[in-house]
Amino acid sequence: MTDEAVSGKFKWCTLILVITMTVLLIRLWDLQIMRGSEMRKLSEQNRIRVKKILAPRGIIYDRTGKVLADTRPSFNIYLTPEDIKDFSQSVDGLARLLNWDREDVIEKMKAASGMPPSFPVKIKSDIPMDEVARVEAHRVYIPGVSIQIEPKRNYPYGASFAHVIGYVSEISDEELKNRKQSKEYSPGDYIGKYGLERAYEKDLRGTDGEKRVEVDAIGREVRTLDVIDPIPGHSLHLNIDLELQLTADKALETRKGAAAAINPKTGGVLVLASRPGFDPNKFASGITKEDWQKIALDKSHPLQNRAIQAGYPPGSTFKILVALKALDLGVINEKTTFSCHGGFAYGNRVFKCWKKGGHGSVAVHRAIVESCDVFFYNVGLKVGVDRIHEFADILGLGRVTGIDLPNEQKGLIPSTEWKKRRYNQPWYEGETVSVSIGQGAVWLTPIQLAQLSAFVANDGKNFKPQIVNRIVSTEGKIVKTFEPIVNAEPKLKKGVIRIVKDGMRGVVNEPGGTAGRSKLQNVAMSGKTGTAQAGSDKVKLGDHAWFIAYAPAEDASIAMAILVEHGGHGSSAAAPVAKDITETLFKVKTVIKEANAHENR
Amino acid sequence: MRIDKRRLYHLDWYLIINGLIIFGIGLMNLVSATSSFSSGSYNFMIKQLIAFALGLILILVVMFYDYRVIAGQSRWIYLGGIFLVILVLIIGLAAGGAKRWISLFGFSIQPSEFMKPILVVFLANMLYEKKRQNISLSLKDVCKPLLWTIIPFILIVKQPDLGTGIVIILVCFAMLWYVGLKRSTYAVLFSVGAISPFIAWHYLMKPYQKMRILSFINIDADPAGFGYHAKQAIIAVGSGRFLGKGFMAGTQHKLQFIPEHHTDFIFTVFSEEWGFIGSIVLFALFISFIHRCLKIAMDAHDELGSIIAFGIASIIYVQFTINVMMAIHLAPVVGIPLPFISYGGSSLLSMLASVGLLLNISTRRYMF
Repeated sequence: MTDEAVSGKFKWCTLILVITMTVLLIRLWDLQIMRGSEMRKLSEQNRIRVKKILAPRGIIYDRTGKVLADTRPSFNIYLTPEDIKDFSQSVDGLARLLNWDREDVIEKMKAASGMPPSFPVKIKSDIPMDEVARVEAHRVYIPGVSIQIEPKRNYPYGASFAHVIGYVSEISDEELKNRKQSKEYSPGDYIGKYGLERAYEKDLRGTDGEKRVEVDAIGREVRTLDVIDPIPGHSLHLNIDLELQLTADKALETRKGAAAAINPKTGGVLVLASRPGFDPNKFASGITKEDWQKIALDKSHPLQNRAIQAGYPPGSTFKILVALKALDLGVINEKTTFSCHGGFAYGNRVFKCWKKGGHGSVAVHRAIVESCDVFFYNVGLKVGVDRIHEFADILGLGRVTGIDLPNEQKGLIPSTEWKKRRYNQPWYEGETVSVSIGQGAVWLTPIQLAQLSAFVANDGKNFKPQIVNRIVSTEGKIVKTFEPIVNAEPKLKKGVIRIVKDGMRGVVNEPGGTAGRSKLQNVAMSGKTGTAQAGSDKVKLGDHAWFIAYAPAEDASIAMAILVEHGGHGSSAAAPVAKDITETLFKVKTVIKEANAHENR
Repeated sequence: MRIDKRRLYHLDWYLIINGLIIFGIGLMNLVSATSSFSSGSYNFMIKQLIAFALGLILILVVMFYDYRVIAGQSRWIYLGGIFLVILVLIIGLAAGGAKRWISLFGFSIQPSEFMKPILVVFLANMLYEKKRQNISLSLKDVCKPLLWTIIPFILIVKQPDLGTGIVIILVCFAMLWYVGLKRSTYAVLFSVGAISPFIAWHYLMKPYQKMRILSFINIDADPAGFGYHAKQAIIAVGSGRFLGKGFMAGTQHKLQFIPEHHTDFIFTVFSEEWGFIGSIVLFALFISFIHRCLKIAMDAHDELGSIIAFGIASIIYVQFTINVMMAIHLAPVVGIPLPFISYGGSSLLSMLASVGLLLNISTRRYMF
């Protein structure tokens, strides 16, 4: 076998072998050397899934250590796109199994389309046990579907705290976009949307942990590679008192209104109730479209926190402020009297007093006790609108009080400057007459009037209202304590506070006092009623009932403002709420011990 | 009959040791490739070793008879092979949508694997006279061998086992080329070769086979199906980088990202765990083995032995090249085992029988 043709063929064969070897080696060089790192990364991505371990959200406690918001385990359904073999099999299968709308499932999947296919998309939160059982039993037929046990927010007192504590809900696309850089949030995460949950999101949220697991080609976990434990969120200890809050909530009952109570010595908010409310638990478990529509379109605006957002003319409660300023300025003194015949003519108009026959000749004490309008018309004119505005501003009225909740309303105390700016018109003195009794352009929120009450109660000093007392980590370490912050401590003439205090005490405790019916047995409460006209002269709506109060009359430990929208008279609609709250606070109780027991838990 | 000591001395130890090294690497690789299976890797290793033991007996049997005697009886062996291949179509065992196996004495065997060396001997017997007379084959001369190749080709492709079909066709052409063709024959064969892909695409190929071609051209055309496998295969190979992930440390196959990783895709297992270096060594071993087969063909005592040896060299070359190219996305996915490495008794037995033939030819190279 040595002829030339054959040896020629062997040369060909050798050449082919060399070419083959070269081609294969070039390709291997390309794959393993040039793109080796990239391929290694891909193989790691294949097998390693990073699973988020949700951090339990911080617990919210009341003043006495009772739980107002905590977390409980819930079952959530996830779909992992990468593990779906047949889209309609998994999606339709799941929808049919649990009687869901297939479009809802697809919508959720679409919302997370920017995430890698190995990212599990949350389809539904907090499903009931029987659905859990059904999904588990059919899991083989719906590849990609998984159930995860995750912490879920729980609000044991529901609507009673809805406005203060707020709620968490699934993060929206928009919120997610805004937080894109931080990468802390991913679709399906919960975020505080309202109230303290929103204001203290950073503290409450904690840091999610991570579990790196090895999975096989069909997504089964083979083993856990490592775990980074989640850091639970800090808990909030509030100044709010559960019992007082529930009392206020109950007293407001089915009416529209709000109650704001603060400790005048610290600014700690004891009560912040608003009615009507809503159930925050519904949001935490993924609110349905119908439920959301119901709440959002409700004409009584249950989502509004009236205690800090509802602005109404303060009515006669405002007289306290006018009296303070007038006495301080010296335009009147304790003995200055004005004569009330049931009306006050100014310009070409007659301003009426609420009491038709008039109060006769009254000095400041009786004017407060009986709420004489004519007296304050006169005083108001002497003080002037700008000095009223200036003083109100010092006390924190007509500007945000700075309470630690989002979206607080500013309220308004008019001034000549304001009118010029707003309407480009001069101020008419006739308007000052209305302002003197808390009507006209004046409007304030309950928390602001509580600040006015606290100012008097604390002898001419008030603090910034604060709901949160301290932030505590899970290990019990205090992260932050909110010390009282002085809001206003103007230098007032000696005796001014004394006069007003005596007047307010008289409102409840003296014969002829407008809130005499709300007198308490074991504690002296001071207060001032207010009945603010609502609507215009043409459309008569029910008056808004106001009551500001503090107790005990000397050395007060609670100062508050109550608003009942269209409630009628302050004395009949609002004062009883304050009475209930005060009664609850000062009843001889064994609760203190109980509270201590809770605290040591 | 006594075994001739001279023949023992003339055994091609180069070929034997080279083959044993490849088989040893294959066995070790198989342990890793099958370790994640529930039946355990030793189960597969033992089955492979049993096949190897049977293969050694087969080598002795094949070596016992002079290859000229075997070639003289090749028509009967060929008919027996065809019979088994037909039998597959009638009583074959189905697995993964294809009928490729028949159960024989409790073993399931794959007759198409044995058809490859049988066809080589049969065609060699048909052609060696022409080569001896140094006659270049005319178109008429190639018709007969082509016909005898197309019969098993059609039967095997019907199973369907396109991979083996492609191997025997390519081996047939290689042998015809080796014998020598007239220019006119070249011309006709090339033209047929040029148009046959179009005919195959339009009339013969099944949709899933077309899909494989499409996903070869564009790996993302079918990311969930064939493209996925091809992609996972190159990820496995690429992620091995220079030194590999280490024995038993390949994640791509252990976590089932690669289908058929103990049979057709076994190269990805080896390359992932042993990297560029290991792959070079394995390639070198194969090239050296094939080169040795060619040397046996060159040194054979007569044309018959030469053609048989060349045919076997081409079987090993074609299978090795296509298998590796498929694993690194240089060829479409097609079921062809890697000789000596892939798991599978029939494939190993067929290879060992071929080695028996090579040794048969090489030991008799000085006999007259």
